[in-house]
Amino acid sequence: MSNRPPILQARGLHKSYASGARRLQVLRGVELTVLSGESVSIRGESGSGKSTLLNLLSGLDAPDAGELQWEGEATLSAARRGRLIGLVFQSFYLVPELDALDNVLLAARLQGPIGAAERARACDLLGRVGLADRTGHIPGKLSGGERQRVAIARALMNKPPLILADEPTGNLDEGSGEAVIDLLLALCAESGCALVLVTHNAAHANRCARRLFLREGGFHPV
Amino acid sequence: MPWPLYLALKQLFPTGRRFPFFTFISILGVALGVGLLIVCISVMGGFGREIRNMIVNTQGEVQVRSEGLMQDPRAVMDAIEKVPGVLATTPFAEGVVMLQYQNKPAFPAIQGVDANRVDRVIPLRQFIVAGEYDALDDDRVILSAQLAMTLGARLGSRISVYSPLLLEKLKTDEILIPRELEVCGIFEIGHQQLDSSVVIVTLRTMQELYGLGRAVHGVNVKLGEGIDPDRATADINRALPVDGVAKSWMDANQEFLFVLQLEKNMIFFLLLFIIVVAAFSVASSLLIAVVRKTREIGLLGALGASPGQVAACFCCQGVIIGIVGTAAGLGLGFAVVHFRNDLVAGFTRLTGSQAALERFYQFSQLPAYLSRTDLLLIISSALIVSTLAGLLPAWRAAKLKPVEALRSE
Repeated sequence: MSNRPPILQARGLHKSYASGARRLQVLRGVELTVLSGESVSIRGESGSGKSTLLNLLSGLDAPDAGELQWEGEATLSAARRGRLIGLVFQSFYLVPELDALDNVLLAARLQGPIGAAERARACDLLGRVGLADRTGHIPGKLSGGERQRVAIARALMNKPPLILADEPTGNLDEGSGEAVIDLLLALCAESGCALVLVTHNAAHANRCARRLFLREGGFHPV
Repeated sequence: MPWPLYLALKQLFPTGRRFPFFTFISILGVALGVGLLIVCISVMGGFGREIRNMIVNTQGEVQVRSEGLMQDPRAVMDAIEKVPGVLATTPFAEGVVMLQYQNKPAFPAIQGVDANRVDRVIPLRQFIVAGEYDALDDDRVILSAQLAMTLGARLGSRISVYSPLLLEKLKTDEILIPRELEVCGIFEIGHQQLDSSVVIVTLRTMQELYGLGRAVHGVNVKLGEGIDPDRATADINRALPVDGVAKSWMDANQEFLFVLQLEKNMIFFLLLFIIVVAAFSVASSLLIAVVRKTREIGLLGALGASPGQVAACFCCQGVIIGIVGTAAGLGLGFAVVHFRNDLVAGFTRLTGSQAALERFYQFSQLPAYLSRTDLLLIISSALIVSTLAGLLPAWRAAKLKPVEALRSE
């Protein structure tokens, strides 16, 4: 595993938020390296800073201090983020006007013109997440588990080397949640992309190769 | 297709929904504004064109007059006909007479025309609705349709004509003997004022009635197709003998045409506000959409969209509403213009106002004409206003930070 190149490196990340008159320090010098193809779970209590950390790791937010590198580069433009990182959210965030296929293709459209190859890949991904017969359904016609599976397919569409999943089972029942985690781990392993999974669920976290626990602004042994 | 345009289309016309209400209302607003502009500007353009045709068909494109009488019209016409672009000339004399038929009097304008030359300049023949234009001679007269109806005169009726010259005879106690003329034709131009109060006689008859000798009041000039009347008028003025001034039909009716253009511009300006109001409604709906779709906007940013692309997505929605609304408005406007006379006929039948319409608006049919410039002006105004309507929502959407947008409730 250690021979694999790092896909993501975070050094000394600090992040605080204003809370009334004082500042709330959420992250205090977080260090994290994610290697290519590795699966890492991050657990922690509510308010421990898991989502804040994921926002920093995805480049959606900037740290107050510290350094981040994605594939060895410290800059991450919006377009590069789209190519490099697949994001899976707790609330799915599907575009309600688009059907399942177009929601998956949206990730590719944002990178440039799409053609038959992209359509075939989107259909293939939807088939792999078990939605081959639901490609024409809009999100409103899909169950929560099915929506999250569409979101996973979308995250994998651009063949990113890194998937960041923020509590992907948070809005699902236990059965659907299990199925989604199975799928996520299997697809990441199959495509060789690294996975950072933020979750409350210890059982889900334990299925990742490396397990981290976030508390008081830093990682602690599980 | 660029994704901002693709997503804008999908948001306006979502998959699986046949009747997106917001889109329909927004497009309808723009369409109504464009449709109304097309109808009103077409009708105003039609009035202008009818008036232009009426003036040109009754006076020619250029009219030459002298300060007093034109004593040698032949010399003037010869000089004018040498000017490039001039097709033909015809002399005229005009005035007012009293007509009497079976004790019914009328005081119409009288036009004396050279029967051999006039139809080279003025298409009188095409306005004859009864009788023969060729039958016009020194003992005959052609009446306008409504005047004939008012007098009760028909073809073959003999009417008495009293000219101002007869008043002179009253001073010397001579007996007034009117000129007796036989009605040989009736014309109808389609203009209420001309159809109700004009008679046409030969130039010689008019010269006798007014005691003009061989003199005339002026010369009407016809120009070739596509010749600029202003330039031709300037050329004619340079070529004229000393007494005489040429005026194009536009110069002669400058004030009237100015008022007509002013009215048209005012109507355009006022009706443009309908599109502006529709654009505010589009902007308001798009702003609500930006608020409603805050998390989707955040998602787009997270997936790799730049703020400019997010802005373009909302801007495109304004443009699409503008394009579809303008197209629908053009269809609606041209349909109304096409069936305008049926619509007006239906309306006047309901209100019993057919006669009033003809009396006040001078035309028996509602005219319509839309120049290419007016059409382009309407289309570009609607598109610009609709595009501007999408800019504010686009700016708001572009300002949203993905991480904050995704967190929003």
